[in-house]
Amino acid sequence: MPTRSSLTSSSQPELRSLADEDLMQLMGRGDACAFEVVYERHSGAAYSLAYRMCGARPQAEDVVQEAFVSIWRSGARYDRARGSVRSWVLGIVHNRAIDGLRRSLVHDKRRASDEGIEERFEATERTEVEAARREEALAIQGILAGLPPDQSRVIQLAYFGGFTHSEIAEMLETPIGTIKGRMRLGLEKMRLHLAPAGVTP
Amino acid sequence: MSAAFEPSAGHAEWADAVGSYLLGAMPDAEQEDFERHLADCPACRHDVAELRPAVQALPVAVSPVPTPPELKDRIMTVVQSEAELLRAAAGRADVPPEPRRPRLPGFSLRPVAAALGAAALLAIGVVTGIALRDDDGDRPAGNGRVVAAQVAAPAAAEGARAAVRVRGQRGTLSVSDMPDPPDGRVYQVWLKRPGRAPEPTTTLFIARSGDIPIAGELRGVERVLVTAEPRGGSRRPSSTPIIVSRPV
Repeated sequence: MPTRSSLTSSSQPELRSLADEDLMQLMGRGDACAFEVVYERHSGAAYSLAYRMCGARPQAEDVVQEAFVSIWRSGARYDRARGSVRSWVLGIVHNRAIDGLRRSLVHDKRRASDEGIEERFEATERTEVEAARREEALAIQGILAGLPPDQSRVIQLAYFGGFTHSEIAEMLETPIGTIKGRMRLGLEKMRLHLAPAGVTP
Repeated sequence: MSAAFEPSAGHAEWADAVGSYLLGAMPDAEQEDFERHLADCPACRHDVAELRPAVQALPVAVSPVPTPPELKDRIMTVVQSEAELLRAAAGRADVPPEPRRPRLPGFSLRPVAAALGAAALLAIGVVTGIALRDDDGDRPAGNGRVVAAQVAAPAAAEGARAAVRVRGQRGTLSVSDMPDPPDGRVYQVWLKRPGRAPEPTTTLFIARSGDIPIAGELRGVERVLVTAEPRGGSRRPSSTPIIVSRPV
């Protein structure tokens, strides 16, 4: 049986210097250390997103655990043509959180999504990475805040609240076609503002 | 619009669907229809590719909250046990020794992929620490074969283990450390065949640990599922499975 040194501190600096895409390849053949580095890089954003969507710690933890275990098992399916590893990871977290929200039998109309994006930052800035993430978050929040409110609202209800366009139409007493149109227009405007803001998800 | 992004017939119906699709806001049936349309419609594929970065920016807008440190331990326990099993499976499958960890991007690692695929079923078992036999559990043997089963719902079922022992067309479900079903409910075993809804069995149990013979033949069954159901059982599952195994 081929053996390989288990998780050692000496293997980590070497891995930490690799790009996400290379770590994904190692992970795809069962390298737990490569997975660990991917987890360390992206778990903060993943947990923040899950917490934002679920609104409670236990559910957010379950979502992140399910998502990362599934990432570990399906690393080979990452397709760089569709965006960065971070976007892929966050997309999986988003899908898991939506599944969880839609599974919950009580369809709670007061889910976390309806609060609006502006919140206090709970974490104090300790590292440059955290400061950079905060900068990015503020940039995207600024773009969202610059959208017409009815467009920003349907985007947030859908993406963070996990509501379907039919549910949103009912909630806002607005025709489905109008809701879909606002989603599309809002995303188009966001796209136009992303590049000047220097944000590449 | 350039010729490359010519809309397909039926495109008008989907003109505004792209935003809802990317945001994950389409009801399931509609999403399947739209994905079929996407396959035929270069204009919609273009729109999806163009607007995807806007949706990918949304999670970045979330205010950071600290990740609980114990979460990493939970996840790494699963990952490391699966990684060990994959290495063991690769050894049994007589795969050439792994190449050294490459230092340059763009390397190819395909040869190991097949071994990973073969080990996937076993890997699922390790999540819950199932090992009813110390040899390759998926090999037919005089005493039947044992198939690991995945215990879903990690929070509710921490420490729970499950496996299905298959002998001929009959199966026995072995469980240990199962959580109690919710009040007024029992666990029910279901047999899932390809392309069909799960079939209820009359096998109901509450036991936390033990061997439970499964009523019904396993011929053609792709998965054995266990759900929590009202006492007396259900005709169709009313909750998501807590145990999933693949006997074939």
